[in-house]
Amino acid sequence: MNGTEHTLWVVAIIVGFVVVLAVAALLTVLIVLVKNIDRRVVTVRDTLKAAAANTADTALIPQVAAGVEAVLAEGLQHHLFLGRVLGKVKS
Amino acid sequence: MTVLVILTVIDIVLLIAGLAVYLFWVGTLLTRIAGNLEECAEIVGTIVSHAKLIGPGVGHINETGGVVAGALPLLYGMAEEIVADVAASAAGAAASGGAAASGGPGADGQPAPAEPAAPGPARPASGTRRSRLLQTVGYTPASRPPG
Repeated sequence: MNGTEHTLWVVAIIVGFVVVLAVAALLTVLIVLVKNIDRRVVTVRDTLKAAAANTADTALIPQVAAGVEAVLAEGLQHHLFLGRVLGKVKS
Repeated sequence: MTVLVILTVIDIVLLIAGLAVYLFWVGTLLTRIAGNLEECAEIVGTIVSHAKLIGPGVGHINETGGVVAGALPLLYGMAEEIVADVAASAAGAAASGGAAASGGPGADGQPAPAEPAAPGPARPASGTRRSRLLQTVGYTPASRPPG
């Protein structure tokens, strides 16, 4: 191996180490970003859990609607009763 | 020559090992993120199923409540009219009964006993009822004291 080949080999090894360091740095940045995404996804999941707990009672809305419907039916009965009584009183 | 070979091997091993470690790490994190996102998707589906009940239910309640609110003044208007008619007829009966009682004696010469006064109409202890629709929306007319 002559001197030129030796020099080129040494340069190649140095460039290789530099490439290894650059890859490590870039992958570290990637890891940091992915960890950030992970934390925010956990935050979104917790928020969605709270929202689901808040909306869980919407199953009561149809029951409330049925109750209001019953109030209306009872009011109609009162209306009929008062109409009958009023007719008798006036007669 | 031997040193160069060893350094070359170390360089290649470092590159491969570093890539392997970092990619395994990233893979683990991405797997966890995928699990969390899948859970998020399920929760969003649950919320959507909950929210589907809100629109029709609230519309139903609003419609029925509007009918009830519109009918209540008619109801208590009829009730007040009944009370007024009964009170007027009771007052008329009392007046005619008093005139008959003070008229002449009975068959045995004694004055006929006065008929008991007709009981007045049952009035609510809370007084005359009135519409509370204005109070419901937070409006108090100037001619009406609050409360």
